[in-house]
Amino acid sequence: MNNSEIGAAVNQKEIYRYLGYGKNEPDGTVHMLVDEVLSELLAVIKPKNSYQLYDCRTADECVFVGTMRIKSRNLAGNLAQCGTVALLAATLGIEADKLLQRYEVSNMAKASVVQACAAACIEAYCNLIQENIRLDAQAKSGTPLFIRPRFSPGYGDLPLDTQKDIFRLLDCTKRIGLTLTQNLLMYPTKSVTAFIGLTGNPENCHIEKCKRCGKTDCAFRV
Amino acid sequence: MSFRDKIGKELLFFDGGMGTLLQERGLQAGEVPETWNFLHPEVIEQINREYLHAGCNVVSANTFGVNSFKCKDLAYSVDELVGAGVRIARSAIAKVRAQENDAGREMYCALDIGSLGKLLKPLGEISFDEAYDAFKEVILAGDKAGADLILIETVSDPYEIKAAVLAAKENTTLPVVVTMIFDEGGKLLTGGDVESAVAMLEGLGVDALGLNCGLGPEQMKKLLPELTACCSLPIVINPNAGLPVVVNGQTMFTVEPEEFAGSIRTLVEMGASAVGGCCGTTPEHIGKVVETCKDMRIVPVSDKNMTVVSSYNHAVRFSGKPLIIGERINPTGKPKLKQALRDNNMEYIYKEGLTQEENGADILDVNVGLPEIDEPRLMQEAVTGIQAIIDLPLQIDTSDTVAMEKGLRYYNGKPMLNSVNGKKESMESVFPIAKKYGAVVVCLCLDEDGIPETVEGRLRVAEKIVDTAASYGIAKKNLVMDALVLTISTGQDNARVTLETLRKIRYGMGLHTVLGVSNISFGLPDRVKINTAFFTMAMNNGLSAGIVNPSSEAMMAAYYSFNALIGEDEQCMKYIEKCAQISAKEQPQSTVQKGAPSGGVGLHEAIVKGLSESAYQATMKLLGENADSLAIINEMLIPALDVVGKGFEEKKMFLPQLLMSADAAKASFEAIKETLSKQGKNSKSKGKIVIATVKGDIHDIGKNIVKTLLENYGFDMIDLGKDVAPEVILKTVQENQVRLVGLSALMTTTVVYMEETIRLLRENHAGCKVMVGGAVLTQEYADMIGADFYSKDAMGSVRYANELFEKGML
Repeated sequence: MNNSEIGAAVNQKEIYRYLGYGKNEPDGTVHMLVDEVLSELLAVIKPKNSYQLYDCRTADECVFVGTMRIKSRNLAGNLAQCGTVALLAATLGIEADKLLQRYEVSNMAKASVVQACAAACIEAYCNLIQENIRLDAQAKSGTPLFIRPRFSPGYGDLPLDTQKDIFRLLDCTKRIGLTLTQNLLMYPTKSVTAFIGLTGNPENCHIEKCKRCGKTDCAFRV
Repeated sequence: MSFRDKIGKELLFFDGGMGTLLQERGLQAGEVPETWNFLHPEVIEQINREYLHAGCNVVSANTFGVNSFKCKDLAYSVDELVGAGVRIARSAIAKVRAQENDAGREMYCALDIGSLGKLLKPLGEISFDEAYDAFKEVILAGDKAGADLILIETVSDPYEIKAAVLAAKENTTLPVVVTMIFDEGGKLLTGGDVESAVAMLEGLGVDALGLNCGLGPEQMKKLLPELTACCSLPIVINPNAGLPVVVNGQTMFTVEPEEFAGSIRTLVEMGASAVGGCCGTTPEHIGKVVETCKDMRIVPVSDKNMTVVSSYNHAVRFSGKPLIIGERINPTGKPKLKQALRDNNMEYIYKEGLTQEENGADILDVNVGLPEIDEPRLMQEAVTGIQAIIDLPLQIDTSDTVAMEKGLRYYNGKPMLNSVNGKKESMESVFPIAKKYGAVVVCLCLDEDGIPETVEGRLRVAEKIVDTAASYGIAKKNLVMDALVLTISTGQDNARVTLETLRKIRYGMGLHTVLGVSNISFGLPDRVKINTAFFTMAMNNGLSAGIVNPSSEAMMAAYYSFNALIGEDEQCMKYIEKCAQISAKEQPQSTVQKGAPSGGVGLHEAIVKGLSESAYQATMKLLGENADSLAIINEMLIPALDVVGKGFEEKKMFLPQLLMSADAAKASFEAIKETLSKQGKNSKSKGKIVIATVKGDIHDIGKNIVKTLLENYGFDMIDLGKDVAPEVILKTVQENQVRLVGLSALMTTTVVYMEETIRLLRENHAGCKVMVGGAVLTQEYADMIGADFYSKDAMGSVRYANELFEKGML
């Protein structure tokens, strides 16, 4: 997958949403700024990912992924009808952080746009990988599969601690250079880890985003 | 014979993978392999012995993942795990030796060291010193237990590697081998290329280096030529058994022993001095490799004799094409930079660096020496800070040897060092540290007798320096001679002497050269005319690198023209590109500023629309018309900012616009400050505010946005950065008698440190108000942790600070 594919998959509206525009349209200057920064970002990032497929079942408020047992009502809900789950770790790499830091010194407006564009890029990148994962899992199972919305540590009642397991299972640091801090934050910062459920049931497999989240006073909510 | 005597002289064999073998023998996913040094030592020893029986010379102790970060929650200490691993490998060697009864076969036990799994500051979480300490702990334990060499492997961050190598070199005398994990494009995960990594490691004095993991032997074949082209050390190649394939959720490596050994044979023919395996390789693989390659002779290791410096991601080679060393980060004769250094205003320094990079510098000189400042501390901060955002190699420029060592130690890459001279004292103090950190040293052709007036005199000094450097083990390739420039206004022969010295050093002695070019015109009018002519003459007489101002269009024009004329600019592309850039700059205003009336924009409009250049010009115009600076600020600048701030709060304007206006206001302030300082006055501050992203948190864009806005409203900001310990915040508040602190946190896991900071401030009666903000915070949360104010967006903090100011509370 090359960066122009990611560029094509980026949802421009998301970028404006991250910049706080809500449903408002940006003016021409900001439009141009976003275009400029996005191509600059796409020219430097080196996205990498690592994923693995596991058998998965849920019982009560628990999820069993491979040999792992995770207690989370929300994740169990998300994966309820999934026989397979993918663990995914993806990162735009250290270059995105560098670009951000550069602009935080020289041009704060651009920095805010880098931040938003990078967030949109990692989302777009995950969406692209997700389709590969789906095809991969489908080929293995021999039946049509659909993707549940990505579910990351920290969402709902899924403890952030789950990061440690994901990092261990996917060997994130060695494979894609992703590291986890003592406080469970990720470096490089423009990175995603997630559970991706695969199910034969096509219902509720659209991307839900804000609807599912309980934080109703969020500035980015649409 | 010791490992050091053997490596690079004859082919050596390393062992293969450990992890997959352990899994086959029952290691569970998630179990720490090194705990088996205690739980199942017989299994570990068995694997070590199988590799030795297969014929390997270097067996790796089962210590790869042991360090204080990864072993925090284990029942065994780092010392115990490492000691046990090394002793098991030693015991395996002893048993195999007894069985085989082959005295001629060398067997060595490697202390195996992997990555800490943490990214280092300035971009990451842990400091260089913390990384160093973690490696030191492992290395001391391994040395004590009897390792024969230190193998640092599967690493991909040059800064972390540097910490590990220094820890090895400073605490043991063991040989050090480093093998790195590159991707198929020849890049480390942190972006570094092969040549930059090699430059740094050779500089640090490792015994051998190479590649392992990540790739199979076929992919490594494609990378090896890049390595042999620049590496003057023995090369170690330990590939995986092919690229990973995921089968039923399991990662597999599928290249079979026979095929693997065939590829390895080619790698030896191509220049590898030692070979083995990594993930997916087994004793069978290594057995086949030994069988296939054992009678091969290695390609002799040769000195590539290149003068090269590097940053963390690329190398810069001295060659026939001259280089530009940016001279602007040097306070001499620059009052603004002096002030910035006194104020610890690092942003100013970073901007100077960015401008020079944009204007075509290859290397940046960094000099932060002022009599009244703590130069070592500032040198460390400048070097790491610049490297966080700028990719160019740096030239550490100082006469303070403590600052010099700090700069070199915390530098990420192979640095350049400015400078040593022919004085005994200078050479005795500079050469040992230059050698230790592998710096390329600028050598000034002067000594106790001053600057020789003649060419012969300067050459004698140059020769003395070369000889003395050699006695410290510093090769000629790591010396760059400064032939010295004296102004022609005091001696009409000065240019001629310099140029002739330059030519003889470059073409006679075969050393690369450097000059501080603009000194030539000191005391003369229209200096740039002389400077450009001299620069061209110098380049034509063997100047390898000019220390110049890359922002000088005339100097850079001379430079690009010279390169085009000597055939170092393919199809004159660079020259043409530069000409196009300059003519684009001469066009009025960029596209972003289109729509501005041709007669210039008023200050109010410039700020509201976020036009920095127009805001600067408009302010200058007003000041030129004798407008009072305070009136400009209060009657035009602040009201314009208020319009934008209000628009933002009413959701009619948005973050990028708010920040563009902030940048425009900043430009306007610049104009005012410049004018005031010319009149010997200072702009007035509304009060000091400390701002920080709390401990454990690394997201600081929100904090930086708030800082920018508060600055615009006239507050004096003390920015402590990100991941700031509560104690540091308290200390800063107390020392500067600050009445308002702004804290930012993004994650629930780090809000606890926000709470801790507030508690510490309260307990010590710091007497300051605390405002908080960040993605996870709410009013309730802010109340709960005892904050005085919760700012839901950037403007909220401005409003609160203004309120306190008006009440006289700041």
